[in-house]
Amino acid sequence: MSDPASDSHSLRLHAALDGELDAANALAFDRDLAADSELAAEYRRLEAVRAAVRRHAPREAAPKALIDSVLALADAGGPAEPANVVELAPKARPSHWRQALPLAASFAVLGFAAGVALMSLRVPDPSHAVAENLVSDFARAAVVGQPFDVASSDRHTVKPWLAGRTTVSAGIVDLAPQGFPLAGGRVAVVDRVPSPTLVYRHNEHLVAVTELPLDARGTRGADGITTIDGYHVARWTDANLAYVAVSDMDEKTLAEFVAVFRAARAAQSEGGRG
Amino acid sequence: MTPASPLGAARFLATVPPLLDDAYSLAKWLCRDADDAEDIVQEAAVRALKALETTAVDRPKPWFLAIVRNAAITWMARNRRKDVAFAGDLGDLDAIMPAGDQGASDPEATLIAAQDGAQLRRAIAALPSPLLEILVMRDVNGLSYRDIADAAGLPMGTVMSRLARARCALAKSMKAEL
Repeated sequence: MSDPASDSHSLRLHAALDGELDAANALAFDRDLAADSELAAEYRRLEAVRAAVRRHAPREAAPKALIDSVLALADAGGPAEPANVVELAPKARPSHWRQALPLAASFAVLGFAAGVALMSLRVPDPSHAVAENLVSDFARAAVVGQPFDVASSDRHTVKPWLAGRTTVSAGIVDLAPQGFPLAGGRVAVVDRVPSPTLVYRHNEHLVAVTELPLDARGTRGADGITTIDGYHVARWTDANLAYVAVSDMDEKTLAEFVAVFRAARAAQSEGGRG
Repeated sequence: MTPASPLGAARFLATVPPLLDDAYSLAKWLCRDADDAEDIVQEAAVRALKALETTAVDRPKPWFLAIVRNAAITWMARNRRKDVAFAGDLGDLDAIMPAGDQGASDPEATLIAAQDGAQLRRAIAALPSPLLEILVMRDVNGLSYRDIADAAGLPMGTVMSRLARARCALAKSMKAEL
């Protein structure tokens, strides 16, 4: 096989096999293949090798622990640092941000003074940090234009996807009849725990509901609707889980969504899990 | 570790998680060990996050697999025996050449297709690393020749000849075991 002609002949065989020949070369190759039975046999042999490799050495799924630890990388420092949330603003609204800079600077000075004064009194409010983290997720998803990891309006698709990735088992309700069709699901990492997040659509708006275990850090207290960075955040709990819903809807529609969601979940747990 | 900026984190989340299966498969073939593969991919993800702070990439798959490949090479140089090192003498590879003169026939193709999976996987694992990585990037990860050339930092002609050698070596070893 030191003969360069036969070498390039062999390379062409592989390139044809891999669909790497351009149109003219592919045409010429097909003609040769039809005319030369030896070439055709060699081609079939290589095809068999490649098929065997693909069948017996398939792409493997990455272990869940690896996926979780890689996802956690992007969140490192996120939950503990509300500064992260604020920084998202310049990407979305650069001009506002520049106008606000001097103001922000003076706030920073003020904040520092207040921080020093309050040092001894300071009680961290974990629930606020969790909400800010989820708002950050929501804003990030909006910036990237990818509000969910699995896009489906079918809860039987979303549920197993989430079940394989999170520890909380999400009970998924479809609210399409009430005007909030399911759009998909994603994983939010809250306090280093991957938690299921359901994304519903309402006209052009989205609402993302994250379900957290009741004993998770920062799920207690502060029920009701608050506003963080212009996003409305609703929080409530039921017998099993705590919920945080982040949305770009107006407050009234979000309240309506929460009522509909809670009613559907209550009906679901009475009638057995769906 | 310094916390990721929101933009960096957003790029990272859009780029890396969908490629983890590919990354893990490549790393596992290269280092031949599942636990090590996880460490390598984790390491590669850290490097990717750092890089995405300052740049966006337009072809994420070859880009990230190149990082995985480099992480694997570094990792093996640090932790491993010589026999799986990448810096082997490529001259040896010339011994493994496409076997075009063997009078191939259809029954042969049928026999190859009927090969036992474990045997084939052994044969793949026995390939020299420079051939193995090209074969895996092509047939496991499904990269195009051009993407492989980018990811491995090799001329396209080298990619093509190594792929041909890899497949022919497999065909040969399968025939030997028939």
